[in-house]
Amino acid sequence: MLGKGLKRKLEQEDENDVMKMSSHQEASPTCYWLQRQTVLNLSLLKLHSRPVHSDPGLARRVLITNTLRHIQDELRGEGIPVPQSFPCGGTPLGVVDGYRERSAGCGVESHSEGSLTPVSRLEEDKHLLLCLSPSVTRQQPPSSIIKDSFTSALAEIEDLCPTVGITTLFSTETGRSLTSDPNFDESRYTDSDLSEMNSSLDSVSLVSDPAPSAFGHTPSLLADFSLDDFLFTELDSLLFDSTPCSSPLSTSSGASKVVSMVTDDFVKTLAGYGNGGTSQSTLQSNQTFKLDLNELDHIMEVLVGS
Amino acid sequence: MWSSCWTYSLNLSSVPGDGDGQSRWCLSQVKGAVDDDVAEADIISAVEFNHSGELLATGDRGGRIVIFQQEQESKNLPQCRAEYNVYSTFQSHEPEFDYLKSLEIEEKINKIRWLPQKNAAHFLLSTNDKTIKLWKISERDKRPEGYNLKEEDGRYRHPSSLTTLRVPVFQPMDLMVEASPRRVYANAHTYHINSISVNSDNETYLSADDLRINLWHLDFTDRSFNIVDIKPANMEELTEVITASEFHPLQCNTFVYGSSKGSVRLCDMRASALCDQHSKLFEEPEDPSTRSFFSEIISSISDVKFSHSGRYMMTRDYLTLKIWDLHMESRPVETYQVHGYLRSKLCSLYENDCIFDKFECCWRGDDSEVMTGSYNNFFRMFNRDAQRDSTLEASWENGSPGCPLKTWRVCTGSRRKRNEIGVDCLDFSRKILYTSWHPQDNIVALATVNNLYIFQEKPN
Repeated sequence: MLGKGLKRKLEQEDENDVMKMSSHQEASPTCYWLQRQTVLNLSLLKLHSRPVHSDPGLARRVLITNTLRHIQDELRGEGIPVPQSFPCGGTPLGVVDGYRERSAGCGVESHSEGSLTPVSRLEEDKHLLLCLSPSVTRQQPPSSIIKDSFTSALAEIEDLCPTVGITTLFSTETGRSLTSDPNFDESRYTDSDLSEMNSSLDSVSLVSDPAPSAFGHTPSLLADFSLDDFLFTELDSLLFDSTPCSSPLSTSSGASKVVSMVTDDFVKTLAGYGNGGTSQSTLQSNQTFKLDLNELDHIMEVLVGS
Repeated sequence: MWSSCWTYSLNLSSVPGDGDGQSRWCLSQVKGAVDDDVAEADIISAVEFNHSGELLATGDRGGRIVIFQQEQESKNLPQCRAEYNVYSTFQSHEPEFDYLKSLEIEEKINKIRWLPQKNAAHFLLSTNDKTIKLWKISERDKRPEGYNLKEEDGRYRHPSSLTTLRVPVFQPMDLMVEASPRRVYANAHTYHINSISVNSDNETYLSADDLRINLWHLDFTDRSFNIVDIKPANMEELTEVITASEFHPLQCNTFVYGSSKGSVRLCDMRASALCDQHSKLFEEPEDPSTRSFFSEIISSISDVKFSHSGRYMMTRDYLTLKIWDLHMESRPVETYQVHGYLRSKLCSLYENDCIFDKFECCWRGDDSEVMTGSYNNFFRMFNRDAQRDSTLEASWENGSPGCPLKTWRVCTGSRRKRNEIGVDCLDFSRKILYTSWHPQDNIVALATVNNLYIFQEKPN
């Protein structure tokens, strides 16, 4: 009577029978607490995974984030210590249009009361509007934002120990911009990859205070960043740069030369570049990366002054 | 004016329904493949009648638009008015790739809006996430014949073979419907476009994405003006997005936009160039007894539609339909529960993402009834005058065309009467998100996953 095809029943809670939905949430404090915990876990899960349908819209992310924040506020209000995996204050939106829009200032201020604002003036950087625009303007991002982003990003990397290759990438790239290395050649970086880097950093940066490990990030986002960075910068400069600023940040194995991507293929390829063709060194450097993560973290904290 | 305002709320226990469980609605046609294997590209994502009701456009996830035309010969027969046949099919949008952000731009058609007809050709606006296009659909039923320099098959004749001159004449040919893109309005939206709306001045239209609304002139593709911008200076402070927007049907200076927090703002473009300051804010205070973790999500406005009269506005959120009097901002004048039985299932619906489904709604031509979709291929009709509602099912198995549909009832108890179904038996993968009502007749078109259903109301 309802049409052929498999009827998919409404998914029931897996947790336990207490979670059978009742409209009276206040009836049992345990029930409420359990449901809150469930919603919390679901929200975190959703923010870190792609939705079933292909469109990870901004609206959806905002709604999930608000739900999460509401729970967090409630927990705080009850005096329950909020775990480090919570976003504090900021919303983990990770908007891909990135950092540049912030430094450019919101287009709103350029509006005048009497005249309409052309959309082209909304974003000062036209490339944000034009998908394939070649023109890119240069801006030097204030270092404070990089520091905050970096600290939390670095903290995140702790959670992502398996993908250690990216740590080195962060250290080499951001290290340069932080310490204003004389060898730092701005021309090597187009603004786009700076913004890409910072946008990814922003997207992983979920806390405004330097608390370690905001909730972990899917490797894929970092992978995107890495890939873009690779597309825009010269491979050689990444691999063979031996600027003084990067040495305290790099691992003792000199593995800053070896930048690994999440994908295995790339790792092998780069290992080939940096080590004259032998792919075995990748494994060694990975292990060394793990050992040096704590060292790196400590150094960064000292530098950034957390 | 105030004495006539009331709030009407329907709950399950007092559903009057229609007499003996039969409605006056009948299935007229089903379009699309009826097998269970649905290709992603065939999933319908937009449904819209044109201003005369003669044409019905559908858009799908594959970026195609299919236009159906009302059967011309039987148009005047009352029982056959709802016969629509394919008129034109064309590819409106193609998938694109944003190289700078490494993101794919889907070709899925988000919205279709027709322009009022000014000449023999028909114009519509279609949009995906980033680009809006103006399409001209025109008929060609004559072609010139009798060229001097060309043969009928197109080959050129040698000038030296000409001995006489003749004037080419138009000869009838098989009807051909052509769709050609007349304008492409691109590069004005950083975020995903969720709405387009043609102004009553027939010269401008608005397009809305998550954070901005832009105003366009139909003739110009190289400039667009921003009229609403809710993007905060610091994106980390973003807590609210724009979800739907529409121009007033009669006042060309007025438009509304709904937000993810359940509020609707009415703006007057005469007030200032940038309408960040609303003229009216329509928001109903939250009922503390129904507060839950999902209160904000379910309050998010999924659709906003003005009545044809321009006096009322309807908003759809996850569980309800609300009718607002534009003169009263404090609360809606009517509230209809679409599927209130889902209130206790919100956690599960959050888990499977159904809670983010964006349902559309539509008005009947005379504004006396409203309609919206639900799950299990149910759709809900609310008769404002008679204060009655009914639940109907879009199913090609149910009865033959012309046979009145049975009304359904969703119950939470264990007893099942005929035409009752338990909440736990609902199929949440079958949902009706897109609906459109014929502007004059009682014909409705709605989309299930990949089928277009056309229903007609039988006169008593």
